[in-house]
Amino acid sequence: MKNSEEKVVAVIMVGGPTKGTRFRPLSFNTPKPLFPLAGQPMVHHPISACKSIPNLAQIFLIGFHEEREFALYVSSLSSELKIPVRYLKEDKPHGSAGGLYYFRDLIMEDNPSHIFLLNCDVCCSFPLPEMLDAHRRYGGMGTLLVSAESASEFGELVADPITNELLHYTEKPETFVSDLINCGVYVFTPEIFNVIQDIHTHHEDRANLHTLSRSEALWSPTKTPAKDFVRLDQDILSPLAGKKQLYTYQTMDFWEQIKTPAMSLKCSALYLAQFRLNSPNLLARGDGTKNPTVVGDVYIHPSAKVHRTAKIGPNVSISANVRVAAGVRLMSCIILDDAEIQENAFVMYAIVGWKSSLGKWARVQASSDSFTCGEGDYKTKLGITILGEAVTVEDEVVVVNSIVLPNKILNISVQEEIIL
Amino acid sequence: MKALILVGGFGTRLRPLTLSFPKPLVDFANKPMILHQIEALKAIGVTEVVLAINYQPEVMLNFLKDFETKIGIKITCSQETEPLGTAGPLALARDKLADKSGEPFFVLNSDVISEYPLKEMIAFHKSHGGEASIMVTKVDEPSKYGVVVMEESTGKVDSFVEKPKIFVGNKINAGIYLLNPSVLDLIELKPTSIEKEIFPKIASAGQLFAMVLPGFWMDIGQPKDYISGLRLYLDSLRKRAPSKLASGAHIMGNVLVDETAKIGDGCLIGPDVAIGPGCVVESGVRLSRCTIMRGVRIKKHACISSSIIGWHSTVGQWARVENMTILGEDVHVCDEIYSNGGVVLPHKEIKASILKPEIVM
Repeated sequence: MKNSEEKVVAVIMVGGPTKGTRFRPLSFNTPKPLFPLAGQPMVHHPISACKSIPNLAQIFLIGFHEEREFALYVSSLSSELKIPVRYLKEDKPHGSAGGLYYFRDLIMEDNPSHIFLLNCDVCCSFPLPEMLDAHRRYGGMGTLLVSAESASEFGELVADPITNELLHYTEKPETFVSDLINCGVYVFTPEIFNVIQDIHTHHEDRANLHTLSRSEALWSPTKTPAKDFVRLDQDILSPLAGKKQLYTYQTMDFWEQIKTPAMSLKCSALYLAQFRLNSPNLLARGDGTKNPTVVGDVYIHPSAKVHRTAKIGPNVSISANVRVAAGVRLMSCIILDDAEIQENAFVMYAIVGWKSSLGKWARVQASSDSFTCGEGDYKTKLGITILGEAVTVEDEVVVVNSIVLPNKILNISVQEEIIL
Repeated sequence: MKALILVGGFGTRLRPLTLSFPKPLVDFANKPMILHQIEALKAIGVTEVVLAINYQPEVMLNFLKDFETKIGIKITCSQETEPLGTAGPLALARDKLADKSGEPFFVLNSDVISEYPLKEMIAFHKSHGGEASIMVTKVDEPSKYGVVVMEESTGKVDSFVEKPKIFVGNKINAGIYLLNPSVLDLIELKPTSIEKEIFPKIASAGQLFAMVLPGFWMDIGQPKDYISGLRLYLDSLRKRAPSKLASGAHIMGNVLVDETAKIGDGCLIGPDVAIGPGCVVESGVRLSRCTIMRGVRIKKHACISSSIIGWHSTVGQWARVENMTILGEDVHVCDEIYSNGGVVLPHKEIKASILKPEIVM
């Protein structure tokens, strides 16, 4: 270790209510970063990973959700981690680099030597200490976590196979560029603020230019970005690639982006599997004698009441105050707070919203077609069944591959429908 | 008195059940279909029943041998070597039906289930003195059937109109006849339709009379009607012999449970369910509008509605079987599977859900 006195801070970008619309109907009343995966809020997983960073001085959450939505979570987190955690509310979206820059004085308060920047909607094992070690070896300004994937919906990049330097970066390309993608997890030296400032100034100049020559608007199809809006990918990573300032650290573990409710179910499974390795005490156990029969990785909140004749798992998360009656079967699902599952009901590949209720012998599921190898279909819109908040499914009703918006009562069976 | 039951062919409309047993031996309300008719015939004093059949007479006779002694009635087969329609079989069985007594004989269609008011029919036959009596039943959509046009007060039949396009009446042939032996003289041994060729002749001679069937009537030749037929049958049983129906906190509506069947705790059964001999229904099971045939096991927490579960099949834990699912004999639905209208041929294992009605070969 170069200097044990060096302080590190972590910044987690949590976005805001106008973002994450693809997460509906689960984001109507709960900010997406607080949606539970494996029983913990989505943002909790990167935050937990930060605990392993040596000399971590502070954690900041930056976003434009209302402060009160995060207040309770942040204060309990501070006492749990024994590290100050602060929510910093942007007045409007600034982009991830812009947001970082907007709060630069607060972030630099403790004079940290390194700043971690994490997006909250990615799901991975967050190998942060390893990244920091690699970053120090490379000696650059920033290091990106990258993963081998072949999907063009992400930022694709080319890295030098020997030095790991970032040689080329492009956001969501139309043609094949590389099979390495940006994981949305970075570590920077404070130099990053100077770089953002330059972009900022450049934007400002351009904005001024625009006000001078209005005629430009006629032939410029794109709107001028707000001068303080700075994206990390297009504005920083692309231009700095190949200039010996940015490097990559490749993770061999899982990586997913959590844009849709279906992906949250898959990511919940990945985090549960990680608990199995790192914190098995968080997982439920039971064989049907005193506790319900548990199969595979299952999280059951201590306040939930699950009847011993129920059979739960694999990949099930049961949140606070949920009541699961006798003879219920739950597999691959997330059951949110205060939901009630009555006798002999069945849930598979589904998310059951807060305060929802399933009647006796009700069945809520998505298909497990052979082409998905019985794993649920996380890519298509109706690949899993989602019940919004306070949805009632009456006795014996079957809901298959459907999305039900909040406060609906289903008294007839539905299949492949969106119920407004 | 004697009777002829028109059994006919392969019963293809009731597949996959008829892939395992000839249609008359398929159970309905815990009893082979044909026994409903044979018992009703026995009850009014019929001594000999002739089955007009054109396939597998051995299986039928082997099975019915037991019942000959049990019920105390003579059962014989008249096997067609070629399909003879609905009248031809009468000519073929002529020697068995026309004895010296000169008494009228019954002809029953084996697909039809009703309360068999045969005693009333005999009285009706005697009262009008004509050569032939037929039962008719009122239907909502007469255009799908052959309508019997009759004089309402006397029952004298005027004509038959097959699938009428305009309304001529709402009474249709219920497939239950009482005929004088003289009628046999009108039938030749060749493929002939009784409705289209023989009855019109008798009607034009003013010798055919129709009686409106009291109680329910259903042609249970196909699964959908089989399931509705069970509802009507159990409704009728509720009025005639309520003690035969199950009762208890776990029973809802009309439910027939064989005394050898076992039912676990926390089940909810009914309405309109028949559970056959030797069945095991484990705890937490929900059954409604369905038939569970002999030797079936329904495992814990399964839910079955509007379906037929064939002989010796199993339905797994937390499985859901509904919407006209028909399981043939010895079909095994694995745990947690959903079948929405699956029609499954015998001896299959269902390991993947059937989300939309389809046939599993």
